[in-house]
Amino acid sequence: MKLARIVTFCCAALLIAGGALAQEKEKKPKKKGKGRAVLEIPEVEKKDIICFALYTISDNVLKLTAQLYPIAGGDTKIVRLEIEKGGKWVEVAKTEVIELGWTAPFRVEKWDDTKTQKYRVLHGAEATYEGSIRKNPIDKDEIVVAGFTGNSIHPAHGGDISRQDLIDNVKKVDADVLFFSGDQVYDHHRHFAAWLKFGRDFGEIIKDRPTICLPDDHDAGQPNLWGESGKISTLGGAADGGYSQPGSYVQEVERAQTSHLPDSPDTRTIGQGIGIWYTNLNWGNIDFAILEDRKFKTGPAGRVPKQGPRPDHIRNPDYDPASVDVEGAILLGSHQLKFIDQWAEDWRHADMKVALSATIFCGGAHIHGSANGRLHADMDSNGWPQTGRNNALRSLRRGYAFHFAGDQHLATIFHQGVDEYRDAIWSFCVPSIANLYLRWWEPLEAGPNREEGAPEYTGDHLDGFANKVTNYAAANPEKKPAGGDVLNTRSAGFGIVRFNTKTREIRMECWPRNVDVTDPEAKQYPGWPRTISQFDNYNPPSWGKLGELTFDIENPVVQLIDADSNEILYTVRANGKTFTPGAPKGKAFIVKAGKDVPDTVVSEEAKVGGDAQSVKLP
Amino acid sequence: MTRVKPDQFLLLLLRLGGFCCFAGWTWVHFYWEAPYGILLWQDATFKLAERFGIGWGEFVGSGNNDGLVQVWLTRVGWLYLICSILTLTVRKKSWIQMAGLIGGSCLFVVLSYAKYLSAQSQLPMFIEHGGQMLIPVILVFALAKGVRHRATIITAMVAVVMIFAGHGAYALGYHWPTPANFLGMTSIILHIESETARIILRIAGVLDLLVCIGLFIRPIRQASVLYAAVWGFLTAIARPVAGMSLGLNYWGADQYLHEAVLRAPHFILPLYLFFLWRKSEAPDTLELPTAIQDKKAAPQTCGS
Repeated sequence: MKLARIVTFCCAALLIAGGALAQEKEKKPKKKGKGRAVLEIPEVEKKDIICFALYTISDNVLKLTAQLYPIAGGDTKIVRLEIEKGGKWVEVAKTEVIELGWTAPFRVEKWDDTKTQKYRVLHGAEATYEGSIRKNPIDKDEIVVAGFTGNSIHPAHGGDISRQDLIDNVKKVDADVLFFSGDQVYDHHRHFAAWLKFGRDFGEIIKDRPTICLPDDHDAGQPNLWGESGKISTLGGAADGGYSQPGSYVQEVERAQTSHLPDSPDTRTIGQGIGIWYTNLNWGNIDFAILEDRKFKTGPAGRVPKQGPRPDHIRNPDYDPASVDVEGAILLGSHQLKFIDQWAEDWRHADMKVALSATIFCGGAHIHGSANGRLHADMDSNGWPQTGRNNALRSLRRGYAFHFAGDQHLATIFHQGVDEYRDAIWSFCVPSIANLYLRWWEPLEAGPNREEGAPEYTGDHLDGFANKVTNYAAANPEKKPAGGDVLNTRSAGFGIVRFNTKTREIRMECWPRNVDVTDPEAKQYPGWPRTISQFDNYNPPSWGKLGELTFDIENPVVQLIDADSNEILYTVRANGKTFTPGAPKGKAFIVKAGKDVPDTVVSEEAKVGGDAQSVKLP
Repeated sequence: MTRVKPDQFLLLLLRLGGFCCFAGWTWVHFYWEAPYGILLWQDATFKLAERFGIGWGEFVGSGNNDGLVQVWLTRVGWLYLICSILTLTVRKKSWIQMAGLIGGSCLFVVLSYAKYLSAQSQLPMFIEHGGQMLIPVILVFALAKGVRHRATIITAMVAVVMIFAGHGAYALGYHWPTPANFLGMTSIILHIESETARIILRIAGVLDLLVCIGLFIRPIRQASVLYAAVWGFLTAIARPVAGMSLGLNYWGADQYLHEAVLRAPHFILPLYLFFLWRKSEAPDTLELPTAIQDKKAAPQTCGS
């Protein structure tokens, strides 16, 4: 009887599934016959041919990329950049548009970042696009970064709902930097058309403030991305590593989304002529490391023992996590790790450090896709390979970096652990703008050491790769989402992080969609807001304190070096004239300090419990 | 040299094609993940489950245990395995086994429909599975009515047209974008840039569509199906050739080999038509593998 019931159900389900998709087509005005969101390149008048513009400024170099609609054959390909000086427009650069993607990248050196300047991009005689290039907000105590991820445009996920709430809120908080962590585009074949739509949706806030975009897997035209330094992927799902789309497509994507970022210190190209864009952006005395956590990563298919129905998914809870940490598997790659190490030591013009990447350094969800899609581990996350993950965290914590990311479709706060719980950096993963694919953080056992009254899913846990993580918040979607609120039942939203360079506090906020963040009644997702100290990003519980150092200058840079191995433990800018360095017990350390560069040896045998010391710096 | 009657050889080809197709998909069901997710993870499907008295927890599981969805998806694999065996054991009057194979054809329709939905309702995705959907039916027709029966041949021709129309539409890349893995495989195997691969695929796409037409033009139909058999074989083995590597576990065979095996109808059905239409020199028997011969037109045949 039960069998008959189930078989009947299965037959009916088949019909219903097709019918449901067909119905969906009819309900949504923005869809045409095939049930897909309409994604067309609109015909625009010549005066509107410039869609939007993105920019950053770093080390007095302005990089601005104007995104144009296709230019007609007979029209000029030259695009100009002007700034307003004394009430007059002055041309500062011109460039030829790159037809594959219709981008016009400008570069202006010796940029004066001490004042806000109006700019306009021009094409031909009619087209103009105006915005303002902000002054470097070094005089502000609080730098506000608004973070976004997962910009689905599919109506089924609320992707067709206006982004006006996001625009309004960014304006209300007057964000200093915008961070789009990935999946700005979900169309796997028409990045250009989707990118133009992204520009129409967000251009209003992007044009007036530095914006960081990290192209992730869907931007590159594939469901997951293990880039393997530019290899060609042929396996469905791309778990064999590499890029599914041709190199020219990927280059176009990266040109559109990253050509306005500060120059990368790594000038190599990888397979298929794909470039490298990891870099850093120093803005408002916050030093952002902009990382590429996908491009060099090894694909798992055929490299790790199969543990589930997909090469990248581990279903077997009894598997040996060490078995998948295979030799030679790469996460960030040696060049990028070296870059992070150098970045972590460099505190010129920096009070705080922030790492930006597509995703977080752990398996940040247990249930994937549907309410029972329990996965033990997902190799798409940066929890794998474990050695690569630990190396990345070791490098990042050397600079007390806070980590801001996305991708997971599930907002979380984790305090990462490498050798012990909570001995590395904090990470905040922002929720999706519109959530294509649901995930839940739902460990089977309650986490130890959780805060009083906190949900059982918080606290210390091992993720699916046996990485040590401590959860503080998770904006889990409803088990059966949809209904009237297709955005927030699917835990859509965005994140705001406020970096206070005076107090060195970091406040994480996680907002649902369609709320007014300035309304005192507006509620964030449970678990937010949370405020931590910059110095929590490397403060292992097992550590003790060296003797207090009192300097003769404000905010010196302090560096700790292991006296035996000569390895740098960390470099950080102290807050005020006193600093009490944390350090492992039972070891001796060399302490160095300086105004911006730690070039003065303060102590050569500092140990936990040592005496306080007054330091005069040259 | 073993002497085999031509009809038996043709039947053997169809059995082989059917077996490989079912066996390949059996591997997918048991070892990997069958592509039914899009059919099941719909709000409408959940609501329907409730109407049949199947609760949410029972349907999707508790999180710790599999729900009906997982259990039945795995059980579908057993149906594919049974069908694989049936392609070898089915005889002329085994009506139950034949019914089983027709059921197997329905399984392929469901699977192809799921892949079609997953591909954002791109028509070529459904059409190119025509050979896989129809090969069990062709085998049943061949047993029940004969390998040269009008119904058998027409169904096989329809299947070949579907395969190559679907491939051709994708390879041309005009209305439906060329799948990235088509370009990737071509680039890797031929060591060429993606733009050159795109040109080659466009040419192949045109030829695919010409095959669909040539099939119906008597003077060129043999050449058309011979080309289809060769190209169908090359496209089937392209996946393991491009993807397998000595550095991978099992050389990557578990990832890629079945992708070629389950596409056996893509070259076996054209091959079946080629041998069927080849001029016969010895009407009753032929030697394998070099002297495969065809019978003169028999009663109830068409197209020979």
